[in-house]
Amino acid sequence: MKTIGKDRFGKIIDKSYFPLLVVFALVTLIPVYILVKISISEPVDVLTQHPTFLIHNFTLEHWEKVLTSGRLWPAFTKSFVVATLTAIFAIFIATPASYVISRLPKKVKYIVILTLFFTRMFPNVGIALPISVKFIRWNLMDTYTGLVLAHLIEQLPFITWILVGTFEVIPVDLEKSAMIDGASRIRSLISIVIPIATPGIAVASLFVWLNSWNEFTYALYLSLSENTLPLQVYYYVNRGGFFQTATYATILTIPVALITYALQRYLKSDYLGGAIK
Amino acid sequence: MKKFFQKYHLEILLILPLTLYIMYFTLLPVLTTINLGFINADTNVFSLENYEYLFGRDDFRKAFSNTVIISILGLIMQLTVGLILALILKKTFKGKGFFRALILTPMGVPTIVSGVALLYIFDTQGYLNELIYRVTEGLKYIGIIASSYKFIPIDWASGGIRTLFMIVFADMWKVTPIVTLLLLAGLESISLQVYEASQIDGASKWQTFKNITLPLLKPSITMTVIIRAVDLFRIFELPMILAGKNTPVIATFAFEEYRLYNNPNISGAAATILLVIIMIFVSLYLKYIDKGEGLA
Repeated sequence: MKTIGKDRFGKIIDKSYFPLLVVFALVTLIPVYILVKISISEPVDVLTQHPTFLIHNFTLEHWEKVLTSGRLWPAFTKSFVVATLTAIFAIFIATPASYVISRLPKKVKYIVILTLFFTRMFPNVGIALPISVKFIRWNLMDTYTGLVLAHLIEQLPFITWILVGTFEVIPVDLEKSAMIDGASRIRSLISIVIPIATPGIAVASLFVWLNSWNEFTYALYLSLSENTLPLQVYYYVNRGGFFQTATYATILTIPVALITYALQRYLKSDYLGGAIK
Repeated sequence: MKKFFQKYHLEILLILPLTLYIMYFTLLPVLTTINLGFINADTNVFSLENYEYLFGRDDFRKAFSNTVIISILGLIMQLTVGLILALILKKTFKGKGFFRALILTPMGVPTIVSGVALLYIFDTQGYLNELIYRVTEGLKYIGIIASSYKFIPIDWASGGIRTLFMIVFADMWKVTPIVTLLLLAGLESISLQVYEASQIDGASKWQTFKNITLPLLKPSITMTVIIRAVDLFRIFELPMILAGKNTPVIATFAFEEYRLYNNPNISGAAATILLVIIMIFVSLYLKYIDKGEGLA
């Protein structure tokens, strides 16, 4: 009892954890609030010595300008199409491979997964450099194909990682019993294993879509004149267009925020870090 | 050998596209970059001149030290905040789900956008300076500081340690949810019985934390450190957005050498240095600090 009574550290924690949490939550929310606020504020509120914290002069002018400028939609389309194609190709290449990896003997599987992990440690700029040199020669600069190929570099190890985890938990016995019933291996794979794995594949492909939608480094290396949405944000940051930047940034964020929110319960550690099991 | 192929032809067929893709679009480019770094652009022969040139340049040395400082500062801050949040979120209290959702917000914000949002906050006429200004005005009003004091807005992006701090803060803002979730998963895997036992033995909260939680959390901490360190060393988007040219890091240096000055060989050498730093850090960490416990 005596030691517990002396537990001053424990008492401090019991009293302070909640205020601390509130502070953290505020620090987390304020930047997002400011971003949206700037995109709907009159310049008087923002471009002064003393910017206001609350919205005093509301306006939709910046949004109208951006939506009608004709510079948004090409970038939006490029980002959207590239992200969608990347997700589709990633599924087709990674699903069969991750199924095989998940059925490997434990030791070999561990080595394969570790190799995938190491490919993610290479600096992007080191991979993007020769890719960019190569794509100039292949005339793939500024094209959808080029960017999809580049985004797959990062996304394939990522999705494989997730899907190995998905396939691992599907019992081998299911396939075996299908094969005893006369199904071929391919047949049992397509009609037994894949349907069970479908939810996992769907979630994984949404994450891939998001990663590609946000991707900046490869897009910067591989675009000369046709920007993606993240590049458009960067372009306005450099030009100093305060309000366009905020508006573009908000547009870029909306799908990400929606999908992330919808997938919240899948945001587990092994999805994020691509855990080593 | 032939038997092996016959037996496993289906497996090989299924795994082949992925393997070829990674070989051709990841492994080959990395090797090309390393090779580029060792080739003199003028004479086309193997040499170390690119590296001599790089370390002779002030801005590369600055990029190098900036990268190291950002990484170390970032790791310390992210792990501290992430661990505190994970410990808080492990408790049970009212409104926990709500706060968990709030804390996870940055995951729904693209990195580049988090850079933009913090650009507004750290601007010379931005919201942080305004907040400090209002606080000083308030303190003046109640007489804690002299009324002659005038707050001069801080130029966060002027270079030096302030700018590095700004970048570290922006990165921390973006990744704290991930760090928190990784550590929280680790915390939740610690069996409750261990805690019960320590409670029965009369251990204080601090003793429990130091002697039970931290050691048992080691695998999670190791993984978090490695994942975060690798990303911090190759940090690219946030310095590009927040700092511009006066605060280079190795990755932005490599990009600019290639794009602005068209020196693929110098860029390749810089990227190779980055690769070496990452590999050295990961192996040192595994060997001396983790001693193979976390990843075994």
